Amino acid sequence: MADENKAEIVGTPALDGTYVAEMDIWPLECQEFNRLYPFYDNLKAGKFTTTKCKKCGHIAFPPGVICPKCWSDELEWVELPQRAKVVTLTETQAGAPLGFPSPLIMAWLTFGEDSPLKHLLGRIVNCKEGELKEGDEVQFVVFDVPSHPIEVKKETKICDRVFYAFEPMKK
Amino acid sequence: MAEKKKAVIVGGGTSKFGVRQATIFDMLQEAMRACSDDIPALKPTDIDGLIIATTMAGRHSSALNTAPLVVHRLGLSPTSICIRLDTLCAGSNSAIIVAKGLIESGISEVVLVTGAEKVYMPQRWETNYTQLAVNDHDWDSAMGLGVPPPFFAMIAKMHMKRYGTTKEQMAHVSVTNYTYGTDSPNAHFGGRTLTMEQALGARIIADPFGLYDCCPLSDGASAVVIASEERAKELTDRSMVYLRGTGQHATHSMSVGWPGDTLAEWPHLKKAGEVAFKNAKLTPKDIDVAETHDCFSISEVIELEELGFCKKGEGGAFVTSGAINMGGEIPTNTDGGLLVYGHPFGASGARQAIEICKQLQGRAIHQVKDANFGLTHNLSGTCAQHTVVIYGREPVE
Ligand SMILES: [Zn+2]
Repeated sequence: MADENKAEIVGTPALDGTYVAEMDIWPLECQEFNRLYPFYDNLKAGKFTTTKCKKCGHIAFPPGVICPKCWSDELEWVELPQRAKVVTLTETQAGAPLGFPSPLIMAWLTFGEDSPLKHLLGRIVNCKEGELKEGDEVQFVVFDVPSHPIEVKKETKICDRVFYAFEPMKK
Repeated sequence: MAEKKKAVIVGGGTSKFGVRQATIFDMLQEAMRACSDDIPALKPTDIDGLIIATTMAGRHSSALNTAPLVVHRLGLSPTSICIRLDTLCAGSNSAIIVAKGLIESGISEVVLVTGAEKVYMPQRWETNYTQLAVNDHDWDSAMGLGVPPPFFAMIAKMHMKRYGTTKEQMAHVSVTNYTYGTDSPNAHFGGRTLTMEQALGARIIADPFGLYDCCPLSDGASAVVIASEERAKELTDRSMVYLRGTGQHATHSMSVGWPGDTLAEWPHLKKAGEVAFKNAKLTPKDIDVAETHDCFSISEVIELEELGFCKKGEGGAFVTSGAINMGGEIPTNTDGGLLVYGHPFGASGARQAIEICKQLQGRAIHQVKDANFGLTHNLSGTCAQHTVVIYGREPVE
């Protein structure tokens, strides 16, 4: 018996069965915690969006509550391009953070001269190691990520979440 | 108006860097002990200000309000300033900029700048996992951007493509830094050596980087004393090393805001350097010895370019020309740098400052002959920010 106990990995007893936002790899996306919740609602509708300033026209990324160019708070949601080209990429075979599978593929993406979003470091999913090449086109893709609870008075509400990445264009 | 006071670095010391069987406070006490050995006249009551630079202390050492905890363990009783500061890998270099301002303005007389990290945890997953919290969490980290090698690997690939930089040139940086750092007793990889064959034959971490192209993460602490010229002369008989100029520049927090044409251009470092050189009333040609942020071999190559020690794109050829070796144009990372001394984020800037202080006082292990001016540089936050400090044996007139 004693030896069996020894082999068991002991966790953090006080945190058993709790949600620890501090240790969460995904954002708190819900309205209760985030004024940018429309970004995530739009993701759920398959849209890649950000905020545009009604005063100066600047399109920021990530979206915000004010415009970082003129500090106006009169903003509207606009769509961003969903296709990008791979400038360079990296494939992490080992040592990806917990929660991310290996190989973890990331690419430096360019959205073209006309896009308000020039570059983005994007994760590439639905792609085998060695499959993606410089110059390839990729497209925006949305997927489910784990839900989390929020305490609302004595009840527990469950917040469903999504996140986005990019995947190779079907050839 | 009273004349501006002059800030000098008096001396300092580090704990042993590495995978340590020690808490963050154990290592801070070790660094204080080493600092005390370096400045024998220094007493706890001489110090009127404390800055502790750390990133992981909130998460890994459960020490969110760190400064009073450090005060207690080092026997201090500061009256002018007592703060924690965090700019990740540039923490204690940022703290040195703050200390300079406090001393020149007359608010402080003797400031202890410390930096410390406890990186390694009982289960190894936690170290990589915490890195997700030091980037722009909701945007970049959720993409998987945590540990730095993949990002810097893309930087290296782009520099190789645009400027023809080779793996051999990058390996030359690692081999050179081992020739220096092997003699640093507190270095993470002190006592070890590295050949070109070993460097080029090492296992791949993230293409094109092999093991020796990447600095280790380290546990460790460092402590330096920044003081007014008057107080410094009471604390030491050594020659004065003045803080001449500083620059710190940030333009973005996340991958979408990259300021360069490609990842191979770092205009934000160029700007930070220009500001520091202007304040120091010097040019890159004046600098005799440098400590640049060699988190990866390619980083040192690009930093030498952007700081103006060679032309943009010629960093690879510059390092293989012998420029960074002893007797070269700009001996760089003469204590081994991050690649060999190790990298406990908040502690690295002060470690660099200690080496430049020793170089300018003529007492470094690998001494650059007649070194008059030295420079330290850190990048931080996935290359989002750059911090430059320039030292000299004469103050700015
Ligand atoms: Zn605006």
